[in-house]
Amino acid sequence: MSWRVGVDVGGSFTDFAALHEADGRLVTLKVFSRPDAPGAEIEQGLTLLREHHGVAPERVATFTHGTTVGINTVIQRNGVKLALLTTQGFEDVLEMARLKIPQIHNLYSRRPDPLVPRDRVFGIEERIRADGRVLTKVSRESVQAAHAALRAAGAEAVVISLLHAWRSDAHEREVEAMLAEIDPGLPVFRSGGIWPIIREYERSITACISGYVQPRVSSYLASFEATLARLGVPAAPRITKSNGGVMGVAQARAECVQMILSGTASGVIGAGFIARRCGFPRLLTLDIGGTSADLAVLTDGEAGYGTGEVIGDFQIFIPSVSVTSIGQGGGSIAWVDEHGVLKVGPRSAGSLPGPACYGRGGTEPTVTDAAAACGLIGHSDLGYSAVRLDVAAARAAVGRLAERLGAGIEETASGILELSVSAMYADASGLISRFGLDARAFRLLAFGGAGPMLACFLARELNMAGVIVPPAPGVLSALGGLVADLRNDFIRTVYAGLDPGVERTLQDALVTMRRDAVTWLVEEQGFRGEPAIAVSAEMRYGGQSFEVEAPIDPRWIEAGDLAALREAFHAEHERIYGHADRSAAVQIVTLRLVITGETPKPALPRIADAGAEARPCSVIEVHMDGVRQPVPLYAREDLRGGHRFAGPAIVAQPDCTTCVPGGFDIAVDDHGNLIITPEGARA
Amino acid sequence: MSIDRRSLQILANHCGAAADAMAFTLMRTAHSAFVKETEDFSCTLLTAEGLAFASPRTFGAPWYSGIDYGPVIRMIDSYEEGDICVTNDPYSGMVATHTPDLHIWKPVFHDGKIICFVGGHIHNTDIGGAVPASLSRTLTEIEQEGIRIPPLKLVRGGRMNEDVLRILRLNVRAPEQNWGDLKAQIASVTVGERKIHEIIARFGAETFRDGMQAMLDYAEDQARAVVRSIPNGEYFFSDFADEDGEGGVPCRVALTLRVQDETVELDYTGSDPQVAASLNMPTGGHARHPLVLVGLTYVLFTLNTDLLMNAGTLRVARVVAPEGTVVNAVAPAAVGMRSLTCMLTQIVTFGAFSLAMPDRIPATSPGGNAIMNVRTAGWGGRPVMASIGPVGGGGGGTPASDGPNGAGGAQAFLKNTPLEITEAEGPILFRRYGLWPDTGGAGRYRGGLAAVMEFQVFSPDTVVTARNRNRSVFASWGVRGGRAGSTSRFLRNPDTPKEISLGNTDLLRCEPGDVVRVIGPGAGGYGDPFTRDPAAVASDVRRGFVSADAARELYGVVLRDGAADIAATTALRAARGPAPAAAHFDFGDARRAFEAVWSAPRYDALTRMLAAQPVNWRHYLKRRFFAAVAAGEAAEHDLETQMARIGASLLGAATDAGGARP
Repeated sequence: MSWRVGVDVGGSFTDFAALHEADGRLVTLKVFSRPDAPGAEIEQGLTLLREHHGVAPERVATFTHGTTVGINTVIQRNGVKLALLTTQGFEDVLEMARLKIPQIHNLYSRRPDPLVPRDRVFGIEERIRADGRVLTKVSRESVQAAHAALRAAGAEAVVISLLHAWRSDAHEREVEAMLAEIDPGLPVFRSGGIWPIIREYERSITACISGYVQPRVSSYLASFEATLARLGVPAAPRITKSNGGVMGVAQARAECVQMILSGTASGVIGAGFIARRCGFPRLLTLDIGGTSADLAVLTDGEAGYGTGEVIGDFQIFIPSVSVTSIGQGGGSIAWVDEHGVLKVGPRSAGSLPGPACYGRGGTEPTVTDAAAACGLIGHSDLGYSAVRLDVAAARAAVGRLAERLGAGIEETASGILELSVSAMYADASGLISRFGLDARAFRLLAFGGAGPMLACFLARELNMAGVIVPPAPGVLSALGGLVADLRNDFIRTVYAGLDPGVERTLQDALVTMRRDAVTWLVEEQGFRGEPAIAVSAEMRYGGQSFEVEAPIDPRWIEAGDLAALREAFHAEHERIYGHADRSAAVQIVTLRLVITGETPKPALPRIADAGAEARPCSVIEVHMDGVRQPVPLYAREDLRGGHRFAGPAIVAQPDCTTCVPGGFDIAVDDHGNLIITPEGARA
Repeated sequence: MSIDRRSLQILANHCGAAADAMAFTLMRTAHSAFVKETEDFSCTLLTAEGLAFASPRTFGAPWYSGIDYGPVIRMIDSYEEGDICVTNDPYSGMVATHTPDLHIWKPVFHDGKIICFVGGHIHNTDIGGAVPASLSRTLTEIEQEGIRIPPLKLVRGGRMNEDVLRILRLNVRAPEQNWGDLKAQIASVTVGERKIHEIIARFGAETFRDGMQAMLDYAEDQARAVVRSIPNGEYFFSDFADEDGEGGVPCRVALTLRVQDETVELDYTGSDPQVAASLNMPTGGHARHPLVLVGLTYVLFTLNTDLLMNAGTLRVARVVAPEGTVVNAVAPAAVGMRSLTCMLTQIVTFGAFSLAMPDRIPATSPGGNAIMNVRTAGWGGRPVMASIGPVGGGGGGTPASDGPNGAGGAQAFLKNTPLEITEAEGPILFRRYGLWPDTGGAGRYRGGLAAVMEFQVFSPDTVVTARNRNRSVFASWGVRGGRAGSTSRFLRNPDTPKEISLGNTDLLRCEPGDVVRVIGPGAGGYGDPFTRDPAAVASDVRRGFVSADAARELYGVVLRDGAADIAATTALRAARGPAPAAAHFDFGDARRAFEAVWSAPRYDALTRMLAAQPVNWRHYLKRRFFAAVAAGEAAEHDLETQMARIGASLLGAATDAGGARP
């Protein structure tokens, strides 16, 4: 009789998913996040889980956790006071960044202030060349001088990022050793140790973000462990990672950078789990929360991975589940400009004060308020009385805009929804063109608190095959944590022509990475199964400045089969860009390895067959698609496999509301997913 | 559904998405680095008349949002479904503005009639001509700048005109790359056409047709509202390129800005005659040519960052660009490096608007952002062509904040190249890359610091080019007491006995072991530096942006232990007495000295006399005027008389030769 519990702390809400290991029962709930008192939401949620669902803390066998504490530290700029040591002559690396400013037409636009101000950046006399040879040895005096200066400047931790550490981190290690000698208590981070990619700015900023958030994340995790212990949870918690996997707390405390985007990644992993179990081959996932709206591509349940994801003002270059932001979510504020044109965003009410209808001090009309004013949401409690919708407040907020437009409240609210969908459409269509997808072959799997509310409208604009709403869409990130595998990424930057002579380098890199990976999985994470290892290489045509990652068979490297590697690159280039030049020289930039230790997966419960027609619990008057109309309201908990009904319809459940306009049919599958299909199309 | 203001943004989002889809298709399928890395391309939705009404929202070249394809569209007699037209000729319709830019347009039909066009351009890496990559300041005739395709149908009713392709391929240096890029452009306009049909299906043809106009009208209304907030008046501003060609004299761009209620006139009269170098802008004197209105676009967007940018935005403006000048060159003037002059038109626009709205317009970014390239030999003798990134100045100080360092203002749309990549590619060793202290003009809000790049090369016959360099003579100006930035520098073997300063050159041949240092021009500051927060000055000194000496001399700030000594600072600042009545601009010493001779009245006299001469004589005569003035010819007379005398002697000789007009 044991439970798996996943908890995901987001900007607005903290989501809980608990899965009963024996009978597959899944229970969920939501409470407000407590950025003011991190940890308090965990306690509140676990208490509610016990009270409402009988989930006893001592029966929790596995506990996975994702948190935004890392990303919030960067956004709020309240991390540790860092110093940065660079190669002498290159101290301005963070000031220069990649030069380009955010708004190229705005004469006031500026790059964000660097994470480490220039007066805490110190040059070290040393130099390694691109081929790894030492040009200038590390000067101990310059390290001593830098140390004295960084302590004088009040730095509490230091990042070492020297040129060409992607090729050889010998000097970074030497400087680290010298610092350990001089000042054993000083926390030190090395760019080559954190993520050894070529490109000095990208490697430096990744290392700086890691160092910047480390103390705060580490202390948060300590208090989190203490909370679990106090509540009597016996399981050693695992932390969700940006790469969609999980890791032990010890690694999380040492490598904070790994968990920085875990919330968005977990949602996609949860969606992937459902996609595999229920057999949906091609999906876009749509995750709309209070402060974000994200889209990801899932092929046969597998997420795409990328680097360069955005963290506050910066990008981070460790592998992450690839998501594309398509807006600011339910908190986006609607307004009217001086020419009478209605606009939504880019300002957001955020988590606090949030939408007016949350009754937490918000007064400006948001997308969520527009939905409330239209009567689309508010038909069941969000998160067990923790959140009640104040529809009157929503109407008042929207009403002020309506007055300016000379329109009715519902009409204005409809306009806000339509406009926000069109903005998401515009960004989503960019993603579709970027990857060259055919939207008509994809379904949209909606989750997050507001995903199911807007998904049908977005899918309709994109001409997609339909929409899927899983049973607990509001807490899919928490569910994703429950089913995530142990997973870690390894990289060696090779940067060489794919020409005879490079075989040995590749073989050595592969052997080292494999050894490190197995050590991580077996010794550090205590995994006792068969590890899965996937190898890929980032390659490019000579002279190009961007790489294409192609999956490769490690046996090619072992056999020194460069032709196979080259062909893998050409084929991938052709697949993505539609052309390949098989006569051109190919460079290999990095070799990558992902190790996965599969965790046992729960069986998704099948729900009872309907046996009868789906019965709405009432018919409500709502404003949908600009028209006031009576719409049947269904309770999600009443729906059974085999139920079929037509839109317009509203399906309410504790963690979210699904809105289906006319022109769609809804079928419930035997896992309880809502399969929503445009009328006339094959279901 | 009829389109009203309430729902206009919805249609605008769909149109923006269509332009994005074109751009993504282009970036995904194009072959050349210009597209994928520097994003030097455009994708545009055009009305049936050719006016741009939607562009990609976040990428592409920032100059073309208001483009009018009308002139080239009208050069094709008739259209049928499936046509695709191209041109890269700067002198046919003035849509392409230098030869590497190949423009393409495709009609979109609905119910048998053209409902709109989709179009765009790619900067081709090479289009043939005298030099690789087709661009050099030294070229003097358009014929040297590569093959030119007049406006014609590349695809007629779905059938490719193979003859055009065969001629093109024969005349360029990397035909496969051009062909790959051209295929990407065709794919892009094909996607654009499909997206338009989707929009028509979604909104209806009538709504879409009305909507295109409504979007232009809305952009116009937004721009009018911005212009209404600018005080009426006439504002004159001019600035100079250091040279009007290799080893030349300064090149002036002058602007009289007339703000009248909701409209602006940009009158470029007083700008120099077109030059025998490739710095000329082919605009045809078009009243709303986007190239001479880039600066205006920046100003309007800066004042309202919610601006929907399209051809409607430019309806508030009218341009006067006299024929035969650098802002409206006539054939066969070379135009390859028109970007340097275009940057000057932006700078004079910012200067004129600064006069109109000193509280709202920042000091300019300097221009002269050097695009650095190194051609050298690799370890095994293999040729290495490395594009090692832009080295320029920062953004100007603003009324509320310091200018960004290294790149800012209107010149921060390029990314740099990672040093580690360059070093891994070939034998180039960087010794320094970052910011150069004391380059930003002092001010209450400091100008952005200039970038510095220093590297060593190791092979014989290494060639370093610094395309677009400028501001080695004339500094970038400060505003309202803010000081001018420092000038740019280009040094060979700096800090050694062999040090050579390379002046304003943009090309250097190196020997093995040579060290090259490039420092960009600093941007000017905003406001009296003596009113700058002493803590900000102290922080600048700690950060190495400003020296302690400069803190004292330029800012009146006394430092003690790294912090500002407030009492001593107050005393030092008080000792200056009341703030001197600052001129609106500080132009720096070089321009002050230059204008002591070449004052506005002298320039007016020159402009008048040259304007009366045939175009092909003007640049030659201008240089002769400069030489005569420098030699002190007729210096005993007052300015007007002196210029008239010089003119008479020069023109006399020229008339005798049968060229100039008497």
